[in-house]
Amino acid sequence: MGKPSDLVQGTLDLLILKTISLEPKHGWAIAKRIQQISSDVLQVQQGSLYPALHRLEQKAWIKAKWAETETGRKAKFYSLTAAGRAQLEKEAANWSRLSAAIDLVVEAT
Amino acid sequence: MIWAQRVWLRLQTLVGRERIVQQLDQELQFHLDEQIAENVASGMSQEEARHAAMRIFGNATALKEEARDTWGWITLEQIAQDLRYALRRLRMAPAFTSATVLTLALGIGATTSIFTLVHAVLLKSLPVASPGELYRLGKQSRCCYQGGYSQEKEFSLVSYDLYKYLRDNTRGFAALAAFPAPEPLFGIRRAGAAEAAQSYPGEFVSGNYFAMFGIRAYAGRVFTDADDQPNAPPVVMMSYRLWQERYGSDPSVIGSVFNVNEEPLTVAGITPPGFFGDSLRTSPPDFFLPLNTEPYLESDADLNKVDTHWLELIGRIQAGANPASIEAEMRVELEQWLRSHWGEMSANDRERFPEQTLYLTPGGAGITGMREQYEHWLQILLMVSGFVLLIVCANVANLMLVRGMERRRQVSLSMALGAQTSRILRQPLMESILLSLFGGAAGLAIAFGCTRLILRFAFPTFAGFASVPISASPSMPVLMFAFVVSLLTGLAFGIGPAWMATRVDPIEALRGGSRSTGREGSLPRKTLVVFQAALSLVLLSASGLLTAALQKLENQDFGFEQDRRIVVDMNPRLAGYRADQLPALYRRIHDSLANIPGVSSAALCEYSPLKGGAWGGSVRVEGHPTPGPKDDNFTFWDRATAGYFEVIGNRIIRGRGISEEDTAASRKVAVINEAFARKFFRNEDPIGKHFGKDEENSKQYEVVGIAQDARYLTYDFDQPIQPFYFLSAAQDDYSQSNMGSLFMHDIVILTRPSASLSDVQVRQAMALVDPSLPIISIRPLKEQVTTQFTSQRLIARLTSLFGVLSLVLASIGLYGITAYNVGRRTSEIGVRMALGANRAAIIRLVLRGAFLLIAFGLILGLPLSLATSHVLSSQLYGLNPYDPILTGIAVAVLGAFALIATLIPALRASSISPSQALRTD
Repeated sequence: MGKPSDLVQGTLDLLILKTISLEPKHGWAIAKRIQQISSDVLQVQQGSLYPALHRLEQKAWIKAKWAETETGRKAKFYSLTAAGRAQLEKEAANWSRLSAAIDLVVEAT
Repeated sequence: MIWAQRVWLRLQTLVGRERIVQQLDQELQFHLDEQIAENVASGMSQEEARHAAMRIFGNATALKEEARDTWGWITLEQIAQDLRYALRRLRMAPAFTSATVLTLALGIGATTSIFTLVHAVLLKSLPVASPGELYRLGKQSRCCYQGGYSQEKEFSLVSYDLYKYLRDNTRGFAALAAFPAPEPLFGIRRAGAAEAAQSYPGEFVSGNYFAMFGIRAYAGRVFTDADDQPNAPPVVMMSYRLWQERYGSDPSVIGSVFNVNEEPLTVAGITPPGFFGDSLRTSPPDFFLPLNTEPYLESDADLNKVDTHWLELIGRIQAGANPASIEAEMRVELEQWLRSHWGEMSANDRERFPEQTLYLTPGGAGITGMREQYEHWLQILLMVSGFVLLIVCANVANLMLVRGMERRRQVSLSMALGAQTSRILRQPLMESILLSLFGGAAGLAIAFGCTRLILRFAFPTFAGFASVPISASPSMPVLMFAFVVSLLTGLAFGIGPAWMATRVDPIEALRGGSRSTGREGSLPRKTLVVFQAALSLVLLSASGLLTAALQKLENQDFGFEQDRRIVVDMNPRLAGYRADQLPALYRRIHDSLANIPGVSSAALCEYSPLKGGAWGGSVRVEGHPTPGPKDDNFTFWDRATAGYFEVIGNRIIRGRGISEEDTAASRKVAVINEAFARKFFRNEDPIGKHFGKDEENSKQYEVVGIAQDARYLTYDFDQPIQPFYFLSAAQDDYSQSNMGSLFMHDIVILTRPSASLSDVQVRQAMALVDPSLPIISIRPLKEQVTTQFTSQRLIARLTSLFGVLSLVLASIGLYGITAYNVGRRTSEIGVRMALGANRAAIIRLVLRGAFLLIAFGLILGLPLSLATSHVLSSQLYGLNPYDPILTGIAVAVLGAFALIATLIPALRASSISPSQALRTD
């Protein structure tokens, strides 16, 4: 496994919001989930994950709750707020637009 | 809404910082544990798994720092640190801290106290609904009656007839209320109660008065237009204060009958607490009566006199109405009203008709007579206390500079180690602001006490009356003022020293501090001392001027004697007397009082000297050419019983005073004062000449005597005494006229030398005449005179107090810098002495330095104090504001204090032994 590609600036927020949009997850699970879904292409460093989570929490897009995991340990679970859901839709739409545009440029012959 | 949520989240991170940091630890630990567990699951040993996990995890501390950064409270955390640090430093220097806080408290307290008065008298609106919608007639308040159909400058008082005309025709007002300019007393007792009538201030107001102000009754109901009708059952509103203090909030007062000037009225309700009527007054009214009860209560009613203008107007404008267009509308109405009375107008009025106009001004503060009266004084006091605050700032800045000096080594070390300049600047600044906020808090307490004291002295009230509605306890604006002033003070004295503290060369840390060449610190300190000396000189000369002016006022020749004279203030009208009963009453009062043992003689008069009231009008001298409309024939007049001039000690220069030979049957006489003689009989002998109140009656009075000029008026001490004439009370036609001027207010009693007369004796003698006669006050004439100068005395004392305070502070500043410089120059002084300088030379050396500063202070202070004198000149009652002697005294006092302040360190320096001096580091 090579060095994971650097995340495009600002996309980490989108990834986090998307990842917890179905169910609340703790930090570790969020990192794992992103790694799995992207087939190990995207690896989220703890050093950027936790500051990002706290930033999103301060913006009131996500909220945190302490709960027990399956293994019975206490962990901080993050879930989307209503404002976060709206933000996710906005960022997802932005992303589609942007990536489609990039595709067009890259694939132009 | 999301922003509110965000603010809330941020605040939580601020408050629960400890808990959140702990949770972050837990969260990261969980992540680490999961990674280890995964590593173990993939086949690593426990130890390997741990190391691998840690490797991936990276720098945990940096991560935490970054997470904390996202909370955005770094600056605030640092400020909190600085705050804790500053508090610790202040705690470690208790002497410095308490001295500084005390100094600041004095400065901020003095300023806040004066601001409390400024706010209450000059800035505050009436405590009524939406005062911004209120407008009043007139630019200036004037008292109290204007006759005829023309008024000088502006029509600011109106008659009831004109009021009704304006009220009914001006559409821009939602309501326009009227009330008289005079502030009468009413004799009041509960019907059926066996008490003598008590007198209280009251006010006639139009029926819509309370509705216009948006005032509801505290209990019962407010009266309305329906109660303000000629034939409506007479009602009265009582003040909350009187209801509570005198009747113990007895609910049965409402609806019960009270005798007002011995006429029965029903109490409709109680006005709410805090409501003090339409103007700020020393004694707010305790009763409000409908205007239409005036003819019912007053024997010479003004209500239905079309050309007696005595009503003030305040109205609430319609929402969205433009006051300028209402004013224009009212001007037209005034013109129409005047035209409709063309037939009754005098030639004079007709001539002045074109210039008659009126003005509408914001009325949210009500009738602002008090504002006009005290405005200048308050401005002076605010200026003086501001100067004190500046001196306080300079003093504290000086102390802070010394503190900065002490920290130089520490600061240079911090700088050498790479500390941020802003951080180093912030620490002493934080200290300054903390000090000034503490000072401000302590200052509030001082301000409260000071304001209470000032209120007591400035607005003395009669026992039983309401006191001036100004509260000494700080209101929100006053608190804000104190806070802002403290903050600004902190910045003012803190920013310079803080900045100086950062201007340190890091290399200094490596050198020995006290051996350094640095003398940079002494220039700003010297500047501060110069500044303090200058301001002290200003305050000293201002207090000198005000004190001298007060003395001049108090020691002037009043033209009457004050010793052994007692003035009894009473009012027969309040006991329901009619004019025709008065001559007998006066005779009985005189006889009863004159019979008290120890009483030499007694006389009654309308207004005794400096009582604060007088009648005035034009006179016409027999045989003189008819005066034109612009000619000034105005004079004041008074009425007195036989022997009055002897009793009051007013010397008769020529002819005779009023005596027993002047009776209703004899020719009508008048005694004039010198000013009257000068004004109306310039080149002739007045004795035997005649004058009267108008053309037809120019033979009315014969001049029988000239009295020395005596001060009666209380508002023109800087002017020469005005013309006065005195009529015999016995010669009035009590059967026909029923005028207010027939009712004598004052009885002057002259006691025998070394006899003492108690109030009880006077009251007993008065009760023998009629127990229901209300006695408003009994006091020595001397007291009546001195109370006239209460505010002047207060201002002079306060300014002197501030002057002394500033002098002491400046001396301490001068002492501080001299002692400090002497300390720094110890080794130099040692060398000088070793080389043969004697003690006198050393003292001269030190004094020269200090007096150079004082000299600069004088150069700066003299023009400043001349400017201040110019501001004060209108308040000095003719005293020369640029009096060189007073300025000389101020300079001498400053010099003497400076000498003491510098002599102490100078003597100390001169007693150093050279060997000891050279050994000091």
